[in-house]
Amino acid sequence: MVQITLTVNAEPVDAAFAPYKTLLEVLREDLNLCGTKHGCELGECGACAVLLDGQPVLSCLVLGVDCGGRTVTTVEGLASDGRLHPLQETFADLGAAQCGYCTPGFLVTAKALLDEHPRPTRDQIRDALSGNLCRCTGYQQIYEAVEAAIGQAGPKGPALRDTRTDASSVRRPGPFGPGTDQSR
Amino acid sequence: MIYGKIVRSPYPHAKVVSIDLSAAEKAPGVKATLAYMKAGDEVHYQGDPVAAVAADTEERARDAARLIRVRYEALPQVSSEAQGMQLIGPRWSTTQPNTRAGQRAETGDLDAGFKQAAHIVEQTYSTHIITHVCLETHGAVCEWDGDKLTAWVSTQGVHQCAQGYAQALGIPQTNVRVITQYMGGGFGSKFAPDSQGIICAKLAKAAGVPVKLMLDRKEEHLDTGNRPSAFAKIKAGVSSDGKLTAFDGTSWGTGGAGASSGFPLPYLYQFPNRKRVHTDVYINAGQQRAMRAPGHPQGCFLTEILMDELADRVKMDPVEFRIKNAPPLAPNAQWVKYFAEGAKRFGWDKRHATGDPTPGPIKTGMGVSAHLWGGAGRGSTAHVDIMSDGSVVVKCGTQDLGTGTRTLVAIVAAETFGLPVSGVKPEIGDTLYPFSGGSGGSTTAASVTPAIRVTSLNALDALFAKVAPTLGVTPDQLAAEGGRIFVKGNSSKGLSWKDACKLIGTEPISVDGKWEDGLSSSGTSGVQFAEVEVDIETGIVRIKRILAMQDCGLIVDKLTAESQAYGGVVAAINFALFEDRILDRVTGQMVNPNMEWYLLAGMSDIPKIDIVLNNMPERGVIGIGEPPTVSTASAIANAVRNATGATIRSLPLHPHKVLAAIEQERAGGTN
Ligand code: FES
Ligand code: FES
Repeated sequence: MVQITLTVNAEPVDAAFAPYKTLLEVLREDLNLCGTKHGCELGECGACAVLLDGQPVLSCLVLGVDCGGRTVTTVEGLASDGRLHPLQETFADLGAAQCGYCTPGFLVTAKALLDEHPRPTRDQIRDALSGNLCRCTGYQQIYEAVEAAIGQAGPKGPALRDTRTDASSVRRPGPFGPGTDQSR
Repeated sequence: MIYGKIVRSPYPHAKVVSIDLSAAEKAPGVKATLAYMKAGDEVHYQGDPVAAVAADTEERARDAARLIRVRYEALPQVSSEAQGMQLIGPRWSTTQPNTRAGQRAETGDLDAGFKQAAHIVEQTYSTHIITHVCLETHGAVCEWDGDKLTAWVSTQGVHQCAQGYAQALGIPQTNVRVITQYMGGGFGSKFAPDSQGIICAKLAKAAGVPVKLMLDRKEEHLDTGNRPSAFAKIKAGVSSDGKLTAFDGTSWGTGGAGASSGFPLPYLYQFPNRKRVHTDVYINAGQQRAMRAPGHPQGCFLTEILMDELADRVKMDPVEFRIKNAPPLAPNAQWVKYFAEGAKRFGWDKRHATGDPTPGPIKTGMGVSAHLWGGAGRGSTAHVDIMSDGSVVVKCGTQDLGTGTRTLVAIVAAETFGLPVSGVKPEIGDTLYPFSGGSGGSTTAASVTPAIRVTSLNALDALFAKVAPTLGVTPDQLAAEGGRIFVKGNSSKGLSWKDACKLIGTEPISVDGKWEDGLSSSGTSGVQFAEVEVDIETGIVRIKRILAMQDCGLIVDKLTAESQAYGGVVAAINFALFEDRILDRVTGQMVNPNMEWYLLAGMSDIPKIDIVLNNMPERGVIGIGEPPTVSTASAIANAVRNATGATIRSLPLHPHKVLAAIEQERAGGTN
């Protein structure tokens, strides 16, 4: 067992774990933060991405013991004061997730991008997220979601908008009923 | 909770001589061991499960798995379709033949059809094997309470899975509860408990504690299904005025070790005289499973490349040629319309004839292809509770693969009650909820939404009956909209939803309902266009644009419906350009069981994709999970042909194949 102190999602935590454990395993198994996913544990899919000292890393390739004294941000740390991060809002509103298994990795990696480049170009978005695989969506919505979050995100971004109090404002329902309007 | 690990055969074909669990049993932390096979059994593919172990940590389970001693007697293996079809040579099994007669159909008069033909094309076409690669691997957590099992499974069918557990474990299905709150993709590979699910349950029983058993990426490639290969030697005729006259196809393919490989052929177009004979070939590789529109991408590719070759023979535009030979316009057959409309939207008039005349190494081309699918609804059941505080819960034993089923349940119920979506709590993904089928065949939306609609209407009727006396009207005079219950034609006479529900009293409204005919239907059609750029010096294909014209009946939720289409198109781009399960010819081992050498499209590989959904409310709900993934690859391959003038008759369009086809074309072609 090794013991380290690190900052996870802005809170100092002590963790004791076997020395061979990866950061991914420490987060999921020892710190009970299961938002970070494992898709390959070989550094190939990006599902396990987290921010280490603000930089995106593949947590399946980082040893837990190397994280003493460092700062980790996982998807659980994106929302604050009960409000979703703008990227979480736009991913949900624009359909940038289907099963959602890849989403935590995309979200934290996109957050790092917006922190560094508040107004990224499409090429910058592509380069930043090219290590994250999604098997469900068409990626196009992921581009759109990141672009939609531009201007709302940032390290100390403005107050987040709250659009999800009524989901019908986002998804126009209309099955079977009169006056069905499916246009967006 | 402890962790399970499976010991798998390293050989593609072998006889198990002995299994010795004793060293593993004594290993630290081990709580249970299991021999899944026994001495004398035959393993038929690399990754065939043989034994398993459960230990208190994942690492200890892995260590103990290495201590399980299995002795094998290696047997010769079959690693390709061609090898399997040889009369002499290795056999995939010591007891079963390498081939089996598959689909067979004959219509019309083949000889007469070929006599009417002015041109005949005779070629062999093929598609390769790809695996599902769900981002979340297969697996489960199993917990026993006496003889009752609760299994949290990554599955596309909770009820189907429960049935599978009951059968395999010899317990009543009523003793099994399967839960799938969320899951990370299935694409057809996650219906049954599978070996890993059953092993997990058995280990949990033996250990007396819950067991978690999730597969790793390599196991996932080897043992959780794939799309079978498809080959066809086709002779087809066309008349001088561009009418298809005859189709004679001999096809084969492999679904791996003992699994079939059928697909529709010819696909979609009307060959009045046709014959098709299929042979299933067995090889020593993991078995196929349903994969997003099973059979259709294969049949579509084999037919659509042929279609472009035939169109060239009669010097017709591919769109015009297809319109001439597609089934006539009908609600479930919109191809003729989509070809014409799509061509206009896509700028098809700018397409050059086969072979981009532009100088330089980058050649541009356009291609087109069409597809069909069923997507019908079937018996689903649901339950709705309305509480006196106005809260509503809708329960249905369906599951959400990421396709948005939960969203659909909430939307349909909310609209029926005239409530915002947030006013309804959808509960799905549990066998404690009313029966609904597995999510396959694009049937979920068409099965679940009618059941939710019917059940919600039943509940609303019950609520109207409670409210009517207070408003001094009869129940049939009431309507629910905008968060209110009111008298039709006099909306000021009414109550808020909350106040109306207060009249329910102590016993909540609690009703069941089920799928009814009339709210859904079957049969979708789609046409896709692709524009590509091919570098004829490197063979690299870059897709510039895709246009997908698609119908799915009534669109319940545009966002999730479009997402299915986008995702389907990208999955097909993967099929066309990237994914390929490669087996070593000599050892029968998969050489790329990962996500690196098994190529997958990422953010940088995606073209501009335009989805045009044709809303047809009068048809009711039809599923859309599968159709958009059928024809993209064929449209891309036809675009590559249009760009380079070289016909690549087999997928994937990897650079070396593109270069070889261009070389062959320069050397005089294959015609
Ligand atoms: S789990 Fe770390 S990259 Fe796939
Ligand atoms: S949404 Fe399923 S993998 Fe991305």
